[in-house]
Amino acid sequence: MASKRQKDSPEEEKKQASSFPDEVLECVLGFVKSHRDRSSVSLVCKDWYNAERWSRTHVFIGNCYSVSPEILVRRFPNIRSVTLKGKPRFSDFNLVPLNWGADIHAWLVVFASAYSFLEELRLKRMTITDESLEFLAKSFPNFKALSLVSCDGFSTDGLKAIVAHCNYRNLTELDILENGIDDLGGSWLSCFPENFTSLEVLNFASLNSEVNFDALERLVARCKSLKVLKVNKNVTLEQLQRLLVHTSQLTELGTGSFSQELTLREYSELESAFSNCKNLYTLSGLSEATSLYLPALYPACVNLTFLNLSDAALQSAELAKLLPHCPHLRRLWVLDTVEDKGLEAVGSSCPLLEELRVFPAEPFEQDVVIGGVTESGFVAVSQGCRKLHYVLYFCRRMTNSAVAAVVKNCPDFTHFRLCIMNPWEPDYLTKEPMDEAFGVVVKTCTKLQRLAVSGLLTDLTFEYIGKYAKNLETLSVAFAGSSDRGMQCVLAGCPKLRKLEIRDCPFGNAALLSGLERYESMRSLWMSACHVTMNGCRLLAREMPRLNVEVIKEDGSDDTHAEKVYVYRSVAGPRRDAPPFVLTL
Amino acid sequence: MGRSTNSSSSSIDSSNHPSLSCASSLQTKKDLSTDLRLGLNISTSSEIDNFSNNSREQSSDWPPLKPLLRSTLAEKGSNRQRTSYFVKVYMEGVPIGRKLDLFAHNDYDGLVRTLGQMFRTTILCPDIDGVLSDNDHVLTYEDKEGDWMMVGDVPWEMFLTTVKRLKITRADKC
Repeated sequence: MASKRQKDSPEEEKKQASSFPDEVLECVLGFVKSHRDRSSVSLVCKDWYNAERWSRTHVFIGNCYSVSPEILVRRFPNIRSVTLKGKPRFSDFNLVPLNWGADIHAWLVVFASAYSFLEELRLKRMTITDESLEFLAKSFPNFKALSLVSCDGFSTDGLKAIVAHCNYRNLTELDILENGIDDLGGSWLSCFPENFTSLEVLNFASLNSEVNFDALERLVARCKSLKVLKVNKNVTLEQLQRLLVHTSQLTELGTGSFSQELTLREYSELESAFSNCKNLYTLSGLSEATSLYLPALYPACVNLTFLNLSDAALQSAELAKLLPHCPHLRRLWVLDTVEDKGLEAVGSSCPLLEELRVFPAEPFEQDVVIGGVTESGFVAVSQGCRKLHYVLYFCRRMTNSAVAAVVKNCPDFTHFRLCIMNPWEPDYLTKEPMDEAFGVVVKTCTKLQRLAVSGLLTDLTFEYIGKYAKNLETLSVAFAGSSDRGMQCVLAGCPKLRKLEIRDCPFGNAALLSGLERYESMRSLWMSACHVTMNGCRLLAREMPRLNVEVIKEDGSDDTHAEKVYVYRSVAGPRRDAPPFVLTL
Repeated sequence: MGRSTNSSSSSIDSSNHPSLSCASSLQTKKDLSTDLRLGLNISTSSEIDNFSNNSREQSSDWPPLKPLLRSTLAEKGSNRQRTSYFVKVYMEGVPIGRKLDLFAHNDYDGLVRTLGQMFRTTILCPDIDGVLSDNDHVLTYEDKEGDWMMVGDVPWEMFLTTVKRLKITRADKC
């Protein structure tokens, strides 16, 4: 545009510049959805910055402490949908003490006045109390969708508040996933008003309490737009069948418990209910599924793209019989009860597979020798599933050569997360470190965005990562490395690194401080049980005032040692809500 | 203890090759933890130290699994994965009961033999041993539905899925 105006006189130029109305620009920008693209757009020039901020309707905040609600509402006046992430990811594994923070309430108060037309709120790893849920329900008349993933602080009473107070015309989504929730009973389901029919997404699979089934059945029957239904374990097979009768339009189903003694008639009713679910593309739940009733599912699997069996301890034969009925499968989550033989079946039945996650059924048994999956299952999958690009694999043994074989078959990995469960475990055959395995991963998989390493690893692994993993954005490291050099190589060599989380590694102050220039271009750094000291953290804080350098103090720990360090960039300054055990340096 | 836990293998710092010393210390980790418990003043790196005591498992921060998945797995009822299943056993007339691991046995014979040793009596199965006299004992069990049944009628695997507790009763009651 600007190049065409070069020959014009200054008045012409001015006229042309102002004759391109903001409204048009905002309209055009309305088509730009990705938040990264929008960030780029806002940097072009002042006009574009303004057009972008007025036209943005959805905002994604990866770290709730990187910005304050006041700054947010000042910049973006028209937000209708907010996604917020709070605690560091290692809080999922109990590494962050309770009451650390990430409470949504302060945000809700500001939103209530600035975004009264708010429609969607998606939270991950945040704390939300029942009072906040009630406040939410009462403050936003247009509210449509609430999604809570790995959140805590609330109980089913809070859900009751949402359900009872929501505008019955608008609520379309209630998605409660994997939360630390106080389950005070299932009566919240009865609180949906009788004239409430707009629900499209209902997911309460992770709640443990009994549900009022009659209320649920009536709800499902009258919500004709319901697309996603994920019930909890207390819904029986027979009850599920009754629900399915009303929901042939479902695209995602999470079953309750899949074991019950059914009569022949009940079984055939179940089978015909599943036959009606031709639109399913996601299936999960299936807890306690046995080979007896799995066949009832087969007709519903014809269009499945995502099968989540992480609640169903299937054996290899059962999986082998089920998979041929899912010809379009792209994502599969299983427990390692399927063993290598089950993974061979995956390799032979799922040519379109893009994502595989294998979880351990017995994660705390240190000395398990038999059972579970090994390197040969991993190789078997890679041989049959050449499109695999996302893997999360928990195992007790692995070899460098197996990993090399896997990435030779599947060079397009974008997410490679290998968890050899015993720390410092060497190559099973050669007893050498697993350095070469991760070396070949980063050399071969040039598109790699996310990597989690495990096993016996020296600094060589990190040299490889720094040298080859040029697209790496997220790195998780545990019980690895030999010296500061490891972490230094990563910080110096991975230009796109955004999230670095490290635990139980011999990295100290030299490593921490080598990243001085890097941390402002990253979302966050976590280091726990490493060799970093308070003095090192203080130095970092002093040199980089725009970073928040926080140390979580544990009881009884040494005063000079920084047991848990969380470093992140922020335009909001130090936290004002930090609990006493979080020191901001 | 016998093994000499010398300080060179137990003090791990950045200048050593911790991967190698880690690997060898892992084999000795059980010894180290014994020494620690006995109060010997051995400095270990925080990595080995923290990992070798049981609090790691109790605080469950490794392997990296989300708590919900963790607790689901802990409750998981798959018999094929469980390593033991203890049930209460009472003998009629004896107020104090015993506990017995059913998974430690492969069939009814083994179960009856163990019980016979535990309670110092002979337990008979009616179908095998023919007619019973009043002084003999038989084995009964309470099933999932709360009913008391004679042990031995159903296949062993099916029995395991339904048994809740055992009772040794006098034959004249059956």
